[in-house]
Order: sequence, then structure tokens, then C-alpha cells
Amino acid sequence: MLIIENLTKVYDNGFMALDNISLEIPDGQFVAIIGLSGSGKSTLLRCINRLIDPTKGRIIWNGLDITAATDDELRQIRRRIGMIFQQFNLVKRSTVLTNVMSGRLGYINPVYSLFNYFPPKEKARAMAALERVGIPEKANNRASALSGGQQQRVGIARTLMQEPEMMLADEPVASLDPATSHSVMKYLELLNQEDKMTILCSLHFLSLARAYSHRVIALKDGKIEFDGHPKDIDNDRFKMIYGEDAVEVEIH
Amino acid sequence: MMNTKTPMRSNQILKRIIILLIIAVVLVVFSYGWTVTDIDLAVPQEPQRQENVGNALRELLSPNVFTQDYEVSAYTTNFRITCSDSEIIPPTTPSDSPYIVVEPTCGEGDETVTVFGYNLPANGLARMNWIGEDGERRIRQVNGENEDNFVVRDDGTFSVQIQVPRIRGTTGEIHTVELQARIPVGLPRFSNTTNLVMEKMIETIFLALIATAVSILPSAILSFMAAHNLMRPIRAQFGSLMVSFTLLPVGWLLGVLLLYPVGQFAFRLGSENVLVAFGAVVVVIAGGIVLLPRINTLKDLIPIVIVRRLLNTALITILILFIVGLIGGLGELFRASFPRGTFANVSTFIDDIFVYMGAFIGSLGEIIEFTLQVVAGLTGAFALSSLGTSLAKEPLKKTDTTFNHLLGGILGALGGAILLGMTATIGLSAAWMGLLTPIVAGALATTLLPQAYRWFVPKPEVPNQTDRNILRVLAWTSGVIGFFVTFTLLNVGQSLVEGMLPAQQPVLTINGANLYQYVAFAMGIGAVFGGFAGGLGGVRGTFPFGSAIYNTTRTILNTLRSIEPLIMGLVFVIWVGIGPFAGVLALALHSIASLGKLYSEQIESIDAGPIEALQSTGANRLQTIMYAVVPQIIPPYIAFTMYRWDINVRMSTIIGFVGGGGVGFLLQQQINLLQYRNAGVAVLAIAIVVSILDYASAAIRERYT
Ligand SMILES: Nc1ncnc2c1ncn2[C@@H]1O[C@H](COP(=O)(O)OP(=O)(O)OP(=O)(O)O)[C@@H](O)[C@H]1O
Ligand SMILES: [Mg+2]
Repeated sequence: MLIIENLTKVYDNGFMALDNISLEIPDGQFVAIIGLSGSGKSTLLRCINRLIDPTKGRIIWNGLDITAATDDELRQIRRRIGMIFQQFNLVKRSTVLTNVMSGRLGYINPVYSLFNYFPPKEKARAMAALERVGIPEKANNRASALSGGQQQRVGIARTLMQEPEMMLADEPVASLDPATSHSVMKYLELLNQEDKMTILCSLHFLSLARAYSHRVIALKDGKIEFDGHPKDIDNDRFKMIYGEDAVEVEIH
Repeated sequence: MMNTKTPMRSNQILKRIIILLIIAVVLVVFSYGWTVTDIDLAVPQEPQRQENVGNALRELLSPNVFTQDYEVSAYTTNFRITCSDSEIIPPTTPSDSPYIVVEPTCGEGDETVTVFGYNLPANGLARMNWIGEDGERRIRQVNGENEDNFVVRDDGTFSVQIQVPRIRGTTGEIHTVELQARIPVGLPRFSNTTNLVMEKMIETIFLALIATAVSILPSAILSFMAAHNLMRPIRAQFGSLMVSFTLLPVGWLLGVLLLYPVGQFAFRLGSENVLVAFGAVVVVIAGGIVLLPRINTLKDLIPIVIVRRLLNTALITILILFIVGLIGGLGELFRASFPRGTFANVSTFIDDIFVYMGAFIGSLGEIIEFTLQVVAGLTGAFALSSLGTSLAKEPLKKTDTTFNHLLGGILGALGGAILLGMTATIGLSAAWMGLLTPIVAGALATTLLPQAYRWFVPKPEVPNQTDRNILRVLAWTSGVIGFFVTFTLLNVGQSLVEGMLPAQQPVLTINGANLYQYVAFAMGIGAVFGGFAGGLGGVRGTFPFGSAIYNTTRTILNTLRSIEPLIMGLVFVIWVGIGPFAGVLALALHSIASLGKLYSEQIESIDAGPIEALQSTGANRLQTIMYAVVPQIIPPYIAFTMYRWDINVRMSTIIGFVGGGGVGFLLQQQINLLQYRNAGVAVLAIAIVVSILDYASAAIRERYT
């Protein structure tokens, strides 16, 4: 269970990106976060694993207060929360295998990292993760040599190394074509169904949210505009979230 | 169509006035510059100067690169003074070998005769001699010109007119007309100047190479400390930071006492012989593989955290020193293993390569040997202080409010006193160094007023611009006040004006080490500033540690970079004497500053995405740097290192002008002797080497960027 209480984020320049947000997300839910560009989706997701420090409010996950965690505790918590990104955030010059294995860094002895060493069983784990996302043959390629969809799957494999209980996905398919988008979303769906992972995924297309999520949270100017089942978003709701001039486009 | 005659708006007029003003200012600036730089178009047109520069350029552009051995051969024919019928000199019959003919074959003194030559070396230099019966050789100038020498034609023939010398009482004598022709022997070869220049050029390239190599590691380390994207987020708890600050000297001492012998031992193992070195390497690797994975199991073995962490730190620092020492030793071993002649029977080229490689790797080993003590001290200092930080952090966090500020004041006073004590000690070295203490004191003071303000006005829940502006103004104000208070109290102004060091009366002597009044005073100021800062902030407060390191490193790098390597060279020549070593030191120091800056800019421009991604997996700071930063910066680091080597070769060609060795010394010598043809050789060599390197470094950089 993830409980967000009165979460507020004001950036250093005084801009209020999140305004007193409270949420409860039960384990195993697939939550889509939608909203216009600048509505605070990324900020919300990054506050949850404290890549961004919230200004006010508390985030409690399975009884642990993430907002009050010390550096060491925070690292322990982050190990169990995977995150994937719109720009994939792979190290382009490193091999796919190294990129995947780097998801395990939170678990292995930091001294190993000085010598760029990973124990063999972590290599095996990384290969298994790559097999799960269907690209084991790319293990020794440079990450930059992969297509966008493949890179995002490497990103997912990297989070699998963390054996996460929750996954934060910040517009994971925004730079992919529709077909590839669906294949990546399918992997998230699989993780949600097979591994019972809680998934918080920000999306640009409502149609993707409708297709994959159990619950949609719509943000507008840092506030929650809608929180409910995807099929409850009718045309009026849609216009409230996206503005009067918006038209819903389908993505197939 | 729209009306084109829209009235000019006032801001447009203002814009034009500003443009006119700028043009006027630029004009004034340039005219002043014209005068200051003594530009006088008449001077270059003076005939004498034009001739001088023409000569100098001609010689520079006729470098004395090659030389040729010559053999002088003489060919003769006879000439009779005063013609008579009785003795006719027989005409020379044509043949394939060189010969000369004089026409006419007899005559009086002062008459002009023509000499023909055949089958001579084409374009060879030749001269005519006249040999009387007394056997004396008289050089004849040819064709009435003021020239002794003439040049044989392309087809090996010549014809010149010479004058029969007037020799007293010579009627009927048979004289000899002699041609001395210079014939090249063998192939042209490099002149002595060229050989010397090449020797010096190799010295130059090595000078640049070693200066670059030496600078890589320090500048790489500094670059991390000078990258704001890495340093800004680092904030540390004030109390634990002060604990670590006071532990630094203790750690240094422990490092030098305990770790240095380990490094020395490993160095000896590495340089001993191949077998021992190999054994040591195996032991390190095996030790690493066996011990490191088990470090975590210590938890069950030793339950006391402090003991466990201490053991952990000791193990790792010993391992580091052992490895560093071993690498140094291996470098030495490499050089010793391949002395000149090892591969002489394979190929002299391979032999040379190994000698050069040995020199380079051996130098690196030597550098490690020289710096081992410093490395040990630094390792000890950093290990102990980081241990202290992490152990002190949690207990300090739990201090209650009164204790928090009390302890903060005490620790702050201690830290401030140490800091200003250090700067004041440096300030004792030279008058202008005295400025360091007020500057650092000012930086320390910047925290005072903002913190005092916070004492009365609590931090707003939502950050806002006014609050930030107030803090900024207060920080500047207290910084400036802190600077001037220290400046006045320490009487820095007087020593600046008089160029004298501050008066040095020891107030205290411990074990022969003096504590000077000046230093004690500075420490007092540091204690007051630090005490107030720490007391207001409290031990639990955070300190922008990363920003402090960033600003300090940047300042040092920028200062160093603004000093020209030639000036550094001058200082190092005083220190280590004339020669390439001084050049290496000067260029290395400048390279550290310059590469440190360039490297750090590369770190600042990396893609932040992977950093964010690795942080989100729970990796710690070191791991994030190793896996998200390092892979991104290796290519530009290689490119910039090449670029720097390129620059260092250029600079090392002129560092010799101040005695820093290399080809520049030769160049300066030849210019001073007005031997422009020899100087030309050096100039040519520099141009060739620099352009080759330019091309090579550009090619490599292109590959990596
Ligand atoms: N570091 C920052 N400093 C100041 N303002 C920021 C910063 N990061 C984001 N913002 C602002 O906060 C608001 C919310 O940003 P956020 O990235 O969370 O939006 P988003 O919903 O993810 O948008 P998008 O769909 O474009 O990714 C935006 O208006 C943005 O300009
Ligand atoms: Mg976003």
C-alpha cells in the first residue's frame, strides 16, 4: 500500500508543481497518471522515490515513511522500486548487459564497483532478465545500437534486476511508435499480472490508459482532477482534464 | 499594402542612439589601442629595415637541413706568355674525361682570354687559378665580375673570360691555367644542425608526453571536484563534517605511519623480479576475490559497528596502497627488464620501442614511488575522516536543541581556527599571500548574517523569491564585512603596501614549532566566525559541502590556468635548474589546471538521465559515478588528453626560451647568434612535428566525439 498525504512540491524558483495531493494506491494496482504537459506527472512520480525531495507532505509505503528516510534507508527503499523513463536513460556507450546489471548495484558490495566487477550469478540474473524482455541476443551490443523499443525493454530489464515490488514509469512509451508502444505496455501488464507489481505509469494517450490500467489519476496544474475507473472518463471529463479544445485521439 | 510610414516609436530611437554610442565608444577604444601599440606604418617601409628583414627571412627559409661532402679536382692546360712561332702549345684533343681549353693559348699580361671546359660535373661550383712558374696560385676573377666562383652549365661545359695576370719578367714562360671543380661525393646527408635539432625534438616530444601523462590523474580527480552537477547536490551534516575535518590531520599521520610502509613493501615486491612481482599480483587478486565478498559477513562475526567499520576501512586502505605500490613497482620492473639491447638481435626498432616504453612506464612507476607517501597520507586522511563522518552522523542527529547549538559552536570554532590557521601559515610566505586569510574568512562569514536572520525569521514553508533575495544580500554583506574586519585586524593592507611579510613574533613554542602571533590572531578570528556559524547552524544543520569544494577547486584551477607556462617555467628553472625537467613540471602544472577545467566541463555536459536512473535503483554515489558518469566521459577525456598533448608539444617548443629544455633552447641560441639558417631548421622541425600531431590529435578526437 502506497499512501501519499498532502504532498506538495514547490521548485526552487517558486513554481508549485504539486498542490496538496493525497492518494492511496493498494498493492498490485495498475495506475495510469494522465494530464497535460506540465501538470506535474513527472514530479509526482519522482517524489515517490525521492529523486525530487517533496516540499511538504508524507509518502508512506508499506509502513515505511519514505519522506523521512535517511540516505541509507532511502537506498534500501529505492532498491525495491523500479523506474523507467521516457528517454530510457541507458548509458549509451555501455553494453546492454552492463546497463541491465547496473540495476543490481543497490544489492552488491560497493567495493566491487570500484573494479567494475559483477559476480557471475548477477550476470546470469541479467541474462534471465533480458530473456524475459525478449532480447537476450543483444546482451553484448552497445545500448546506442538498439531501437527505441528495445532500449525501453533494456530499461525494464534493468528494473527487473532490482526485484521491485513497485514500478514507476514516466511516460515509458512517449517516444515510441504505436505498435512498439503496445509491446512495451504489454511487458508492464505482464509484470503487473505475473509478478503482482504495483505499477504507476504516466501516459499521454488516454486510449493506452483505457487499455491497460485499472485506475486513472488525472492531474491538472498540480491537483488531482479525476481519480477513478478509466471507463468513467466521458467526453466532459476529458475536456476538463485536457481543456476545451482537446479531441481524444485513438492509438491502436 | 500596409502604411510603411509608421511613426518611429521612442524605443526605436533609443535603440539607434545606443548603437551610435556603441560605435563611438568602439572607435575611441580602437584609436587608443592604435596609439598604445606604437603602430607606425612608416617604419616597415624604411629600406634598411626591409633589407634586414628580407635577409633574415631568406635565411630562415633556407634552412640548413642538408649537407654534402665534396671532392675538389683540378684540371689544367698550359699558356705561354708572349706568343711566338717556335713553341706552339698543342691543342687539347677532345675526350670523354673532363678537360679545359684556353683560347688563345698564348698572350701578354692583362690580356683577356677565354677558358672553355667540357665533361665537367653539371652545376658544380668551380673557380679558375693561374699558376706561374714560381708555382704560386692566383685566383682569377671570372668575366670581370667580383666573383671567384662560377657554376658549370647543365651539360657539363662552361666558358669564362679571365685576365692573364701581369707577372714581372715573364716572357716565354709557360704558365698553367687550372680549373678547380667541386664534385659532390656520396648522397647529401643531414647537417649537424639537423641532427641536433632532431635530438632536441625527441626531447621536446617526450617532455610534452610526460607532462601530459603526469597531469592526467590529478586533473581527472580535480575535474570531479570542479563539476557543479556532481558537487552541488552534496550537502553534509555540519557536525559530522567538522568531525571529519579535525580527523584529517590524524588520518594523514596514520596513513604516513602505517600505510606508507605497506606501499613501499608492495613497490619493492613489484620491482624485485618477475617471479616475486607475479606472486604479489596473484596474492592481491586472490586476496581480493577471497576477502572482499566476505566483508559483509563480518557483520555476524563482529557485532560492534565501530570495530567492524574500522577493520573494513583498514582492509580497503591497505589493499589500495598495496595495489598502488605494486603498480609503481611493476613500472620500475618493466623498465629494468628491457634494457637497451634486449631485442637487439630481433630488430633495433623493436629494441628502441621497448627502451622508450620502459622509459615511459618506468617514469610512471617512479612518480608513484615519489608520491607514495602523499598517497598514503591522503588515503589515510580521507579514509579516517569519512569513517568519522559516517559514524558521527547518526549520534549527532539525535542531539537536543541546546546541545546541538553548543556543540555546533565548539566544533565550528575548532574548524574555523584550523582553517584560518592554515591560510595564515600560507600567508606568512609572501606579502600578497596574506590576502588569502581575509578571503577565506569572508567566505566563512557569508553564512553568519543569513543564519542570524533565519534565527528570527523561520524558513518559509514554500520557498519564495523575496526570502531568497534577502538571504543573498545578507550573505554578501556579511562576507564583505568579514573580509574587511579580517583585513584590518591582521593589518594586511600595510604588508601589501610595503611588500613585507607580517611581523613574526612567536607567541608559543611547542617542540620547536613556533606559533606566530599573526597565525594565532587569524586562528582567533576563525574561531569566532566558525563558532558563530556553527553555533547558529547547530551540528545537525546541513552544510553545502559540495559547493564549497566546487568553488575552491574552481578558484584554484582558474588561478593556475591564468599563469602562463612560460612564467611557471621560469620559476621551475630556478627550482630544478635549466633543462627539460623544469619544462615538464611547468607544463604538467599548467596541464593539470587546463585539463581539470576541460574535463569538468565534460562532466557537466553529460546526459543526466543515466545518473537519475542509477540513483533510482538504490546505487550509492560512488556506484552512480562509476556506472553512469565514467562511461560517458571516457571518450571526451581521451580526446582532450590528445588535444592537450598537442598543445604541450607546441608549448614545449618554446618553453626552452626560459631554459625549460627541448628544441626551444636551441632555437633561441641560434637566433641570438644570428644563425638564421640554423634557426630555420628548428622552425621547420617544429612546424612538421606540430602539424603531424595536429592532424593525429584531430583524427583521434574526431573518433571519440
Ligand atoms: N527543476 C524544475 N525547476 C522549476 N520548475 C520545474 C522543474 N521541473 C519541472 N518544473 C515545472 O513543474 C511543472 C510540472 O513539471 P512536470 O515535469 O512534473 O510535468 P509533466 O506533467 O511531467 O509534463 P510532461 O508531460 O511535459 O512531462 C512544469 O510546469 C515545469 O515547468
Ligand atoms: Mg514529464
